[in-house]
Amino acid sequence: MAASTFFTPNLCITPTVSVSISPSPSKFATPRSRTRPRTTKTRVLTQPSLTPLASLSDPFVLEIAETLEDSISSTSTSVPPPLQKLRHTSSQSLLSTPWPSRKDEPFRFTDTSFIKHSHIQPISSPPQSWNHLGVLPETQLPNLAIVDGYVVNSLSQLSELPDGVFFGSLSSLKSEAIMKRVSEFVSNVEGDLFWSLNGVGAPDLVVVYVPADCRVESPLHLRYFSVEGGDSGSKKLPISNPRVLVLVEKGGEIGIIEEYVGGDGNKCYWANSVMEVVIGEGAKVTHSYIQSQSLSAVHIKWTSVQQESASTYELIEVSTGGKLSRHNVHVQQAGPDTVTELSTFHLSFSDQTQDLHSRLVLDHPRGFSRQLHKCIVAHSQGQAVFDGNIKVNRFAQQTDAGQLTRSLLLEPRATVNVKPNLQIIADDVKCSHGAAISDLEENQLFYFQARGIDLETARKALVFSFGAEVIERLPYTSIRKKVESHIKELLNPVLKGSTS
Amino acid sequence: MALLNSSCCSTPPPPSSLLPFRKFTSNSLLLRVSALRPLRRHSAQNRLSLRLKASIAVESPAISGSDRGGDSPKLLLEVKDLSAVIAESKQPILKGVNLTVCEGEIHAIMGKNGSGKSTFAKVLVGHPDYEVTGGSVVFKGENLLEMDPEERSVAGLFMSFQSPVEIPGVSNIDFLNMAYNARRRKLGLPELGPIEFYGYISPKLDIVNMKIEFLNRNVNEGFSGGERKRNEILQLAVLGADFAILDEIDSGLDVDALRDVAKAVNGLLTPKKSVLMITHYLRLLEFIKPTYIHVMEDGSIIRTGDISIAKVLEKEGYKAIAAA
Repeated sequence: MAASTFFTPNLCITPTVSVSISPSPSKFATPRSRTRPRTTKTRVLTQPSLTPLASLSDPFVLEIAETLEDSISSTSTSVPPPLQKLRHTSSQSLLSTPWPSRKDEPFRFTDTSFIKHSHIQPISSPPQSWNHLGVLPETQLPNLAIVDGYVVNSLSQLSELPDGVFFGSLSSLKSEAIMKRVSEFVSNVEGDLFWSLNGVGAPDLVVVYVPADCRVESPLHLRYFSVEGGDSGSKKLPISNPRVLVLVEKGGEIGIIEEYVGGDGNKCYWANSVMEVVIGEGAKVTHSYIQSQSLSAVHIKWTSVQQESASTYELIEVSTGGKLSRHNVHVQQAGPDTVTELSTFHLSFSDQTQDLHSRLVLDHPRGFSRQLHKCIVAHSQGQAVFDGNIKVNRFAQQTDAGQLTRSLLLEPRATVNVKPNLQIIADDVKCSHGAAISDLEENQLFYFQARGIDLETARKALVFSFGAEVIERLPYTSIRKKVESHIKELLNPVLKGSTS
Repeated sequence: MALLNSSCCSTPPPPSSLLPFRKFTSNSLLLRVSALRPLRRHSAQNRLSLRLKASIAVESPAISGSDRGGDSPKLLLEVKDLSAVIAESKQPILKGVNLTVCEGEIHAIMGKNGSGKSTFAKVLVGHPDYEVTGGSVVFKGENLLEMDPEERSVAGLFMSFQSPVEIPGVSNIDFLNMAYNARRRKLGLPELGPIEFYGYISPKLDIVNMKIEFLNRNVNEGFSGGERKRNEILQLAVLGADFAILDEIDSGLDVDALRDVAKAVNGLLTPKKSVLMITHYLRLLEFIKPTYIHVMEDGSIIRTGDISIAKVLEKEGYKAIAAA
């Protein structure tokens, strides 16, 4: 049948499970000898003493750090203490962090060298004209516009927030109590080079604060937009460093929508974004993340989540933009009975790389996690990368962790590199993982045909439905509809005639 | 023996059908006076029924037991010496199947597990798992084997799947809309948008006794056995078919669900439409009365007869048939 694969896609799965999984309480003692996870071998640590090699400063990194520092100091007058602290710790760690190469495990499949060969320019001031902003996504929700990393209040809409909730830039934060809480949490987790670069270059800190037991009905919409940009093919690469801290106190509840869009045309720019999320006891955060940057853009994003006991974190991601798009998600469990659900859909429909590196660390009992990652590569030079690490440490007994990744390769030479890996030290856990890479399923296609639907229409419907499993989890109808039609727009030309 | 038997069923022997009204077009006013085949429960009601549209006729088409007139019924499907293998392993499954179905007839195929019943159904609709190695299939005067599966469907051939596949991410209503529009395209009619289609399909849900929420669920995803079967019949109701193959439509159904499904199938039958049922049980055949029952064994039809065969089977098993 015509639906069968005619090509040999490049694929690579490297599942690593360091300790065998026992579904029931094991008779055997917990293994004493800790298996040293492969991934840490090449990991760059921020303490120079531990990794002597990394203690050598990378001149290229220092150069970027310096230009970022210069651009910041030229704009800001009085810097709030949390931001000062952030800049300080970030620049400290940059001293010992080299630019990643393909030899470093976390970047084994993700080539960042072209960033290095670009002319990286910090954006030292918010754009002066808003003419370009016709494409700023429409929204009826309380929202904040972040243009080139700067909060633009005139484009934002922040009415009707409940008492005690703060949503805005740190510089407009008046409450000392909240300021104190922010100081406690800002940048107390370590990231990689890009995390630290953001810390040095972030001109501002956007704070979302939800007080204890406060349920915020309406989700908050963060709209990120890039105005500065080089022409496609030019070496110019303006960098923006938006940074957000979401702090939800005990029993609070909020929905966050992050939406990244590029301007018209295929402008070159680099969005280097960080979001930290701290979820208090019994609190809940629903995080929707839509990335549709320009196809020449670099989009590197960090999401670092800390979950107190009985808290819930849900992430629903749909990424389609960028020449290079990388999402690092780190979820750290800080108490028992947490619920974590990660659902991600990546579409690589042109000459682009979509990369998800997720890491979930469980240190306490009865954690529950579900991860679903789906990606479609619909271009012969397109690539998808997934490294999903779940670490179940000694005290994380009765953890229930599930991970599933499915990839759909629609073109010859389309590439996916999948590395699901579980590291389990506790002995009474339930963990599952699965990875599948495929073309469309024959029996599903036949079901369509048997009802009179031609192969092309059937293929289209099945390809859309592949992503729909993630898209339909987006909790807000307006966003979901918009994403659905956007995905259809992107896939339509790709699928036309692909069945012949 | 097999040869003898199969050749005899290629030209249907009595009991044959008489379709007293088959000259009426399907849209014409149809007054069904007699249900010649005994219908214990519904015959009185059926006799009185005045049907404005053939497509909403409720009971099985009238079939005559003996008094076949000079008009022979119009041929719908003719299968001659059909043989087929599993595409991958080349293992032969069908070894010379002969079957002739005329308009308005209801056929049933029974047979042991692995005798080739379902394979026969799948080969007819063009399933890619099987490869036809010999014989011919003519449907409405055209060579069926040369048509793509979707062409067979729009030509009026329908098969209900024994275990329909789940399609996550595609809603039932979208799927039905696509299928219905494919048919409309073929007929040169404008396609229906989602809202128009919703208006068209909502009343059809009553046929299979399903709630409207059914439409918004993903195709077969998380459906119970009964729901899957109902969904297959809903598709048949929406798409219509001149020849419907029902592959074990009764398996996994409780009595109530079976009655619903059978009632729906009967409701869809008209004097021009034909059905081929594949089943293991007499129970279904009591709800949908077949004109002929065929017994399949080792890839061919070894016996053809009326309902009495099913009764023998139910009582004495396939041994009795094979020995006969």
